[in-house]
Amino acid sequence: MQAGLLKTYHRSYSSRGLWAWILALALFVFYVLIYFTEVFDPFSRSIGLGGKWDLYGVLYTLFVVGGGVVFLRKHGNSRYQVWRTISVMFVQTVFAFSIPMIMQFFETPGFFFSLFWPLKMDYFYPEFILSYPLPLILYAFLGSLVLVPVLTFFYGKRWYCSWVCGCGGLAETAGDPFRHLSSKHPRAWKFEMFSVHAVLLLAIITTALVIVNWALGRPDASGQVVALYPAFSSVVFKIQGFYGFVVVALLSGVFGVGLYPLLGSRVWCRFFCPLAALMGLIQKFGRFRITVKDDMCISCGNCSTYCEMGIDVRMYAQNNQSFKRAACVGCGICAHVCPRGVLRLENKWDIGHLVRQSKERILDL
Amino acid sequence: MRIVIIGNGVAGMSAAVAARSRDAEASITLVSSESDHFFSRTALMYVFAGQMSSRDVEPFDRGHYDRMRFERVRDRVVRLDPSGKKLELQSGNSLEYDRLLIASGSVGRMVPWPGSDLDGVGNFVTWQNLEWLTEQAKRTKTAVVVGGGLIGIEAAEILLQAGIEVTFLVREEWFWPIALNPDEGTMIANHMKHHGCDLRLKTEVTEILGKDGAVTAVKTDTGETIDCQTVVVAVGVQPQTGWLAESGIDLDETGGIVVDEQLKTNLDDVWAAGDCTSVVWFNGVRRPEQLWYTSRDQGRVAGYNLAGDQQEYVRGTFYNSAKFFDLEYTTAGYVNFNFEGEQNWYQRESDREYSVRVTYLPDQSVVGFNMIGRRWDHRPLVEWVDQKRPLEWVLDHLHEALFDEEFMPKFRLQEG
Repeated sequence: MQAGLLKTYHRSYSSRGLWAWILALALFVFYVLIYFTEVFDPFSRSIGLGGKWDLYGVLYTLFVVGGGVVFLRKHGNSRYQVWRTISVMFVQTVFAFSIPMIMQFFETPGFFFSLFWPLKMDYFYPEFILSYPLPLILYAFLGSLVLVPVLTFFYGKRWYCSWVCGCGGLAETAGDPFRHLSSKHPRAWKFEMFSVHAVLLLAIITTALVIVNWALGRPDASGQVVALYPAFSSVVFKIQGFYGFVVVALLSGVFGVGLYPLLGSRVWCRFFCPLAALMGLIQKFGRFRITVKDDMCISCGNCSTYCEMGIDVRMYAQNNQSFKRAACVGCGICAHVCPRGVLRLENKWDIGHLVRQSKERILDL
Repeated sequence: MRIVIIGNGVAGMSAAVAARSRDAEASITLVSSESDHFFSRTALMYVFAGQMSSRDVEPFDRGHYDRMRFERVRDRVVRLDPSGKKLELQSGNSLEYDRLLIASGSVGRMVPWPGSDLDGVGNFVTWQNLEWLTEQAKRTKTAVVVGGGLIGIEAAEILLQAGIEVTFLVREEWFWPIALNPDEGTMIANHMKHHGCDLRLKTEVTEILGKDGAVTAVKTDTGETIDCQTVVVAVGVQPQTGWLAESGIDLDETGGIVVDEQLKTNLDDVWAAGDCTSVVWFNGVRRPEQLWYTSRDQGRVAGYNLAGDQQEYVRGTFYNSAKFFDLEYTTAGYVNFNFEGEQNWYQRESDREYSVRVTYLPDQSVVGFNMIGRRWDHRPLVEWVDQKRPLEWVLDHLHEALFDEEFMPKFRLQEG
């Protein structure tokens, strides 16, 4: 048995009990306040930080590191889990927190090396990214358009989602006690396939419109950029604002984290993250897959239960089907908790002989 | 056609699914007194431990029965009337069939010690056992687990995790001698002790003591009296076939239903599969195979045959797996079968609870593997046994059968 998972269902906060609801409410309130009000500013400044987002960064990093330590105590017997967790803790502390902080200290705007478009929409918004020095502009562009697809093709989206990403980092650490709450219902899968690609489409359209609008602008005599088509510009501005409010603030923040204690830690990643959607499409053609050992599954369901992305891993395992799923973030928990060692995460070219379909493919137990 | 399946476990469900894949029209009815939904019996311990909910251990979503058009009857079959092709149910109803599959499984064995009928003495095999142990655990500070097999170690593990002191009584000289050698058994025993389990080898129960009908202590043949409020008896399982006594069906001496290669019983239109079934093993011995894998495979074959096929049940080379607390165990082929002149190649990786044992015959051909700690892929291992590969070749290729998680320490054969 995996010591860290014991009593998951006996604890109120991790089994949708009273404490889970209280926690969810507290997270909702916190996120609404931090996104839409300035109430944290005075406190933030009083402890020597900048505005509220500095305070948020400190809290976020503390939860990733603290949650990571707890996670390591639970799953430290797996080296994959150890390296992965150290990686997200390191990236959060260094790339998502310290470096931007230090840059601000030198009065340059912070830059997040661990973020890419379309998760970080700003990197393709000309007015934002062109204010940075050239190497950072190149990093944002090449990172999003070359590094992300290539690494995802070779190693699956796990290199990012469960090793680097900040949202994933919080989900894998502080969010770990809630991973089993993700819905395994076929309806959730259907909704996910619709919603995550809808957000991706919206992100692409929004980015394209913002770029077109920027290209259509002309500087006037005083150097101010003036829109050639003011009506179009105001529509683009509204769409950009809508994306920022609905996707970034509501879906990734208020609901994404607020729903941790009720719907699991990957609500944002699974249903809404446009970068996850994009990498998921690449993953389907890439090398990463989960290999299933034939005829060894005892259908216990630990894998499905603890899949934070709501993948019914057991369905594949008991059908002797190695599989690729766009949603899989490669956290490796399914393989780790399997009491019969049926599953293994692999990057391999030769899928042919490994995906040995069982003799009775569809109806096998 | 009316197909009736007694039992909603893995054999029954596999059979139902297989039968449906051959016959879209037949009415298929599953009768179970244990549960409304098919669940994974191997996961009972996780429900007790709070690692999974009772819904989590159902291998299919609940729409499965409707999609497959399976009828369900929640009742206990008390009598089989083969001439009238009818089942009598405990509720007084009856059920007619054209073709019947008996997949009634097994129940935990109980030893008739004095006091074994006291409150607080039970098995850990069925869903009702789980409910009993969950309630029982609430008023238990110390428990005794009897029987050195897989259910015993699982029971010991979950009781310990629930904060209960556990004394684990094992009759044999080392843990699980049917599958492990003394060194492997000792490694597992030390692992258990490390987890706080008070393991007593070479110790048998002589009497269970009680007060006001409830257990208070266990007396052993070593003269000890161990205070406890719960006794989990895990000395094996026996086929649940008592209700068939008057049906005229052939049973072996263990109570298992005797079947032919097609899993058909001596009665017309009656098949049997799973734990309740007695089949012929590779070495000619007839007895039940009480494993998840064999139940699933037997159920599938029986299901096809219910629908008109003439398939034979072929066990294939043996394999199995288990987990002792944190230690995973994989076996393939035949170890501890005492073949004439068999020898063992054995390696313990230094400082780790990893062991590899390869059993081979005097002509060097490999017959079995026993692996603890690391994860191994049983498929190549089984293949090598089937191909009668020589020991030297197998050791050279052993790393190909590793199935460890990524980043795990490299496997090396030790020199010499």
